[in-house]
Amino acid sequence: MAFVDPRVGEYAQLIVERCLGVQPGWQVLIRSQPAARSALDEIMRLIARRGAYPLLRMSFSLWPIDEAWASEAPAELVGELAPIDLYASDHMDARITMEAPDNTRGAAPLSAERRALARKGIAPFFRRTMTHEIPWVSCQFPTNAYAQEAGMTLAEYEDFFYRAVLRDWDEDAKAMNRYLERFDAAKEVRIVGAETDLTISLRGRRGAVDSGHTNMPGGEFFFAPVEDSAEGTILFDVPTDMEGAPVEGIRLTFRAGRVVEASAEHGNDVLLAALDMDEGSRALGELGIGCNTGITQPMRNILFDEKMAGTVHLALGRSYTHIGGKNVSALHWDLIKDLRAGGRLELDGDLVQENGTWLI
Amino acid sequence: MDPRIEAYARLLVDCIRAEPGWQVLVRSQPLARPLVEAISRELGRRGARSLVRLRFDPIGSAFVREAPLELLGTLSDIELHEIENADSYMAILAPENNREGTDVAAERLGLRQQALRDPHEPFLRDEKPWVGCYYPTEAVAQDAGMALSAFEDFLFGAVLVDWEALRREMERIAERFDRAANVRIVGDGTDLTFSLDGRQGKVDAMEANMPGGEVFYCPVEDSAEGVITYSEYPACYLGHEVSGVRLRFEGGRIVDASATSDEEFLLGTLDTDDGARRLGEFGIGCNPGITRHMKNTLFDEKMEGTVHLAVGTGFPQIGGQNKSAIHWDMVKELRHGGRIELDGEVVQESGTWRL
Repeated sequence: MAFVDPRVGEYAQLIVERCLGVQPGWQVLIRSQPAARSALDEIMRLIARRGAYPLLRMSFSLWPIDEAWASEAPAELVGELAPIDLYASDHMDARITMEAPDNTRGAAPLSAERRALARKGIAPFFRRTMTHEIPWVSCQFPTNAYAQEAGMTLAEYEDFFYRAVLRDWDEDAKAMNRYLERFDAAKEVRIVGAETDLTISLRGRRGAVDSGHTNMPGGEFFFAPVEDSAEGTILFDVPTDMEGAPVEGIRLTFRAGRVVEASAEHGNDVLLAALDMDEGSRALGELGIGCNTGITQPMRNILFDEKMAGTVHLALGRSYTHIGGKNVSALHWDLIKDLRAGGRLELDGDLVQENGTWLI
Repeated sequence: MDPRIEAYARLLVDCIRAEPGWQVLVRSQPLARPLVEAISRELGRRGARSLVRLRFDPIGSAFVREAPLELLGTLSDIELHEIENADSYMAILAPENNREGTDVAAERLGLRQQALRDPHEPFLRDEKPWVGCYYPTEAVAQDAGMALSAFEDFLFGAVLVDWEALRREMERIAERFDRAANVRIVGDGTDLTFSLDGRQGKVDAMEANMPGGEVFYCPVEDSAEGVITYSEYPACYLGHEVSGVRLRFEGGRIVDASATSDEEFLLGTLDTDDGARRLGEFGIGCNPGITRHMKNTLFDEKMEGTVHLAVGTGFPQIGGQNKSAIHWDMVKELRHGGRIELDGEVVQESGTWRL
């Protein structure tokens, strides 16, 4: 075998030990793609050594979605998870999702209708992880496609990637728990910045910290906002995408918790289609505060960008029930606001962060 | 895309005769992407589900190498459920390196194969359809001694054939063997007899192998007597190539085995279990599209003018009673002076039929 970057081994260990804490006899489902080979080999080795079953679900699109199949199969089958896959979803003890695309724009040209059906079809797979019934982690493997998206060589991107994931997570957890305590004690959050003045209630809601558990990289603490509370406007200035389609410069206006006005400088149609996905897609499912100091610039990669220190993100759609969320939707789309160049966070009128720097 | 890939995908889906609502496991490797995606689309068109399961190394996965031995002999509940509930499966090999897995201890491979055998029994018994085949990769071409483009021409030439015509030809051969009791194989270093008494043959045309092109039997388990020497071609199994295999049978059992290379692997494999020293299959190669040996059993055993005998497990649906975790087909060339006799009558000489 060719030379394997020693950081791959550390990364695999982090996933198996810290993120999941794999125990003997567990059935660990691993959803991934071929380009992650070196990490997958190492992860499967570590799981096997612990006396557990690594169950690899590797395909070209991300299992349980099969885009080639979904483009031709009868609609009623696409909208329903295969019984074999449902059984696996209901009986797995933990799951790893490690995306490793060859092309970040490589999604098959499925119609919006088919894509929505496929999303509905795989929803049961996410049930036990959205409720945190079992340990899970969503992560990536550094590929040329990600590097290209970030405007970097693969070697540069790998350095960035491993700086963001191979951290002293216990140290990060301490800092985030300190901020979280302050937020938990507050009733109202106000986000102010360029073209932005938005208030959200957290009354009765307690947040959670991800210090390298369910996401890798971790580095955020997050809440399920009170569903009918958001008021005001916000400009999301970090470029993002929706299932492979780029969307930039998103402006949203909220009244009583719902999006009443929306526009995007680029990808406006994609934004409007997402908002109209279902009843819950115009309400907020998450407020997250990025705290990972290893991430200093956006990479056009939500998993990393939303953890960037000095940013906040709001998700449209589904919320996490384990932290009190009640919003139901097939959508969960994190939109990111950079506060470092002139923004602030206020809790019940007290300034707690200014230009990305904590004042608490 | 090469239009032959779409035709190949349709052929494979025809082989399993996929029906609406079926859950079909599509087991393959990353290099087969164009074929796997074409199969998924074709299964979708026919209203069946495509459950793609890719592996880097189908033999020696990290689990097989690293799992504690007591775990290796078991299947997880999810894996067992998947095999038991699949209506069909396809195994499409697309190796990057044909020697992957050869460094795994035979004991570990054996434990894994034993764990997989029972739930696959309905497939072995033909109660559920499956098909095994190759996608043309550099590694397979290299072992065949060919450039990739030449190997692609060869592979598509061997699979995209008139299967109905070949089926009729093979049925004529099977009809003659079905009537016979005793088979004698004579050739270089070889004089072996065994009985087919009470056994019916099976014709492989668009069945579980692609390419197909063989007529095969399960010999009466205690009948083999004599010697066979695989002097022309190496016996290939699990990535190993064993040259000059010579087997002597008494009462159906191998009592003496030797090889001129990798003898240790031969002897170790024959000691896997009780059934590993008895014959599970006698097959007659009938595919005219395959004219040379390429160290690839799936193709080699179908080569016209050859026969093959497998040590290990037999096929219960055609009367086979031998059970083993192994099934190792070894190919014997008969085109250079060999012959097949049925109840004393020569039916094939130097690879030419005299029916």
